[in-house]
Amino acid sequence: MEMIERYIYAVTQKLPQAQRKDIADELRGLIEDMLEERTGGYPRKESEVEAVLLELGNPRELAEKYRGSKRYLIGPELFDSYMLILKIVLVVVAASEGISFIVQSILEPFAILDYFIDFIVSLVIGLPMAFGWTTFGFAMGELAGGIKQKDLLGKEWNPSDLPPIPDEKRRIKRSEPIVGITFYAIVLVFLAFSSEYIGVWVFKNGFTGVVPFLNEDTYGKYLLLIFLVFGFGIIKECLKLVSGKWTYKLAINTTIVNVVSMVAILFMINGPEFWNPTFMSELVNAGVVEAGTEAYDVVAKIWEQTTFWMLILLLIGLVWDAVDGFRRARKK
Amino acid sequence: MTDAREHLDKLMQELRRGTITIGVLSQLSEPQYGYSLVTLLGEKGIHVEPGTLYPLLRRLEKQGLLDSEWDTNETRPRKYYLLSKTGKEVFDLLVVEWKNIVASLDHVIGNEGDEGYGDD
Repeated sequence: MEMIERYIYAVTQKLPQAQRKDIADELRGLIEDMLEERTGGYPRKESEVEAVLLELGNPRELAEKYRGSKRYLIGPELFDSYMLILKIVLVVVAASEGISFIVQSILEPFAILDYFIDFIVSLVIGLPMAFGWTTFGFAMGELAGGIKQKDLLGKEWNPSDLPPIPDEKRRIKRSEPIVGITFYAIVLVFLAFSSEYIGVWVFKNGFTGVVPFLNEDTYGKYLLLIFLVFGFGIIKECLKLVSGKWTYKLAINTTIVNVVSMVAILFMINGPEFWNPTFMSELVNAGVVEAGTEAYDVVAKIWEQTTFWMLILLLIGLVWDAVDGFRRARKK
Repeated sequence: MTDAREHLDKLMQELRRGTITIGVLSQLSEPQYGYSLVTLLGEKGIHVEPGTLYPLLRRLEKQGLLDSEWDTNETRPRKYYLLSKTGKEVFDLLVVEWKNIVASLDHVIGNEGDEGYGDD
């Protein structure tokens, strides 16, 4: 009976692989039993098969009953934060792409068609990527939360376990991580898709070009690390948003994230190929400075020391961020 | 009136959900397969849809209250369910609890009735 098999298939394909065969066999037996009762033996009519299947009901509902609990990638507890962050990230990505398209078109109006194509391409690449990573991050959070809940199930709950209402100073305003996420996302988008515009802009009777800070040839290799650093930054802000207050756990987590970012940044900036190796000569060619002058020496010195000072600044920033977290977590 | 019917249907659904488990466990000191259980319970006035019973049997088995075995000797293979040792213990405890609930509710409902008569 073809329709019976179709019904069984419709039920079991929505169930875990391991249970399918067993449930299919059992359902087949059940349907045969029900048919037999209805017809009192052979021959059976198509209409009777239909009546039996109708009695069993919608295969989707039956499968749901077999599954018992509903399963989530991102559960109802995290869903609101997830939607909020997803919106921010997608809007920021789309907006930054739009802005960089507009800036490029204003600077070089003759190439507007190329830039428009670039814009579309980067949207097609960037939006799914942003969506994917955000979802991935939250799915990981959901997974971790589920494991934690299982751990806690056996323990008895006490009213004294109730967390205290956080002090004004420990509370994290929602706007703070949202601004953070927006900032990271904007910088990330520019670094990923418009890195050639990061540098010294040269204007001589209008815009003539950019002397880039970064090494265009090796940049692709570093892109992954850049994603890592900013992705971790976004994760850090998400942790803050979900937690809503400073705790030692949150402070430890942000410290860990900061250390990972720091290692990645050290790795990048210390690599000799990260910075544009011909920056100075390009500056001279663009006519910004003249070789041999005092100005040239000053600029060269600044350029050479950039790596060092950027490191120091980043280190101070990340250490401060971590210390501040602990400081605020301690406040009762 | 139809409104009251709708409410009743919903509440009855919730009420049955728990009692069906007791009914099922009560019949499984002898091995039964799903459909024989539907018939057996039906004869005793407990109507249960196969679409509800089959997943329930599987859930109880997963929880360890039932053991199961496939019988492939008959014309069509059937999965037989039987109370496990734990299942037996749970059922005995459940019966005690159920009787308590019935007694308490009888008491509550009965009292309300008495008051009603008193007002008359």
